[in-house]
Amino acid sequence: MNRRFLIALLLLWSLGPLLWQVYTSFCSDQALIQPFVSNDHRWTLIHYQNVLNANPPFWRYLINSLIVGATSTFLCLVLALPAAYALNRIPRQLSVLTRLALVGAALFPYVLLFLALLELARALNLGNQLLALSLPYAALSQPLAILLLNSAFNDLPPELEDAAKLEGLSLFQRFRWILIPLISPATASTAILVFLFSWNEYPIALTWISDSNKLTLPVAMARIAGSSIYSVPYGAYAAATVLGSIPLVLLVLIFQKPIVSGLTSGAVKG
Amino acid sequence: MTVFLLLPSLLFLLVVFVGPLFRYAWLSFHADSVMTGLIAIPNGGANWLRLVQDQRYWQDLGQTLRFAGVSVGLELFLALIIALLLDQRWRGRDLVRTLALIPWALPTTVMALGWRWIFNTPYGPIDYFTNLVGIGSLNILGDPNLTWMATVWADVWKTTPFAALILLAGLQTIPVDLYEAVRLEGGNPLICLRRITLPLLRPYILLALLFRLAQAFGVFDLIQVLTGGGPASSTESVALYAYWNALRFLDFGYSSTIIMASFLLISVICLIAWIGLQILIPTHSESRGVIKS
Repeated sequence: MNRRFLIALLLLWSLGPLLWQVYTSFCSDQALIQPFVSNDHRWTLIHYQNVLNANPPFWRYLINSLIVGATSTFLCLVLALPAAYALNRIPRQLSVLTRLALVGAALFPYVLLFLALLELARALNLGNQLLALSLPYAALSQPLAILLLNSAFNDLPPELEDAAKLEGLSLFQRFRWILIPLISPATASTAILVFLFSWNEYPIALTWISDSNKLTLPVAMARIAGSSIYSVPYGAYAAATVLGSIPLVLLVLIFQKPIVSGLTSGAVKG
Repeated sequence: MTVFLLLPSLLFLLVVFVGPLFRYAWLSFHADSVMTGLIAIPNGGANWLRLVQDQRYWQDLGQTLRFAGVSVGLELFLALIIALLLDQRWRGRDLVRTLALIPWALPTTVMALGWRWIFNTPYGPIDYFTNLVGIGSLNILGDPNLTWMATVWADVWKTTPFAALILLAGLQTIPVDLYEAVRLEGGNPLICLRRITLPLLRPYILLALLFRLAQAFGVFDLIQVLTGGGPASSTESVALYAYWNALRFLDFGYSSTIIMASFLLISVICLIAWIGLQILIPTHSESRGVIKS
């Protein structure tokens, strides 16, 4: 009974706030201000209609975030895979030092980089370009990606590559046909973590993008908060929260194994 | 050849991580604001002198440290309980673990406004509850003494699953026979925790602690959306202050100084936390000696 109670508490604590948003999103404005009073006109879909018919419509932000997430993940992996492989093939002390620096960079609260990155965006004329966001995103998730992929390469038996070398396969061929397929589980974990990071990132998207058609989901959400505390349309906002959460809840439910193993092996190796 | 595989990635990292730090260090000794037409002009240590005398900065620093200390402490404590719970075997464990991970996966800004609604006075459920038990309306987001606790609550909610997962990974590396050895010698679960679990978990606790401390010190998204730093700047963090200075007051020189100071402080705090943890939790070999003797 003790354990069941703890489990119930854990679920209530984790999901309660989200379920409250789901509940709010279906409540009419009248019912919202009396959440615990029975009301004949409690249920409504008006908030969802408002959010989906807003200008720009809500799904625009979802698509923007999806595009940025996908390009960032791709760019990050293209850079991190060779680097993670090479990290085992440089002098040992140098490799240990590099790994230590990568851990430091992974721990670093990247929000402090916003000002210098903003200057960089202005200098290179990258502001207000959705795809340009994937440059800082790929770079910021690089340390974690290299560390995760490097530990996956480390776990492969060295004889494997020696055998492939004897067969006369070039570095690129070994990479393409032997190593990449073998570490694909780790690559999948890394890809999902990078995607999550890019999807959720806020300060850089906030400072780089101002065009309301190009906003990513987190910035679009915060824009609503920019209005006064008293005039925030909570019903519409709750509907937006629910719509914005669905892709991530699905992502976590579908990819829970690679996510957990990514975080876990990051911890065990780090 | 291998160098060419590493080079693109490392160059990228240098531009994004190391470049900014040099830029901040350089800018912190320059006036660069609307007053100078956004052109950097050397001004000696004027920015740093201003920082030392800036009441608002010290207030924000105190608030940031309070936020980081309280929320990371709570997170690790709760994470340990959750990890211990998830380390046991029971039906539906994997599903619960997945569901508990959802808060961590959601964008901070998405839930920050959700929390604003939950803490709303008088329409939120928290307000309803405090009225129900007779405390009355607390006006959580309007009272400078209470609002910071709401930010801690929201932060603990979001980041505990991450810490729990890291600790769980550590728990699963501990061999079961170690516990049995203690049990055979008549040790109770508390002794197991003190002598085996915590010492063997130390590297994982360290990782979670350092990561969370650094991230909590740089708290930005949550505060900006949940409270906007208010009421009366009572929840403003140093990262938010640096952001205001850059984008509202257009003072890049001073903003860089705040960021540079924060970077140095985080490094020191992490170092202290690292040493502190070494002292607080004995290493496993020592503790095994204690059990045997």
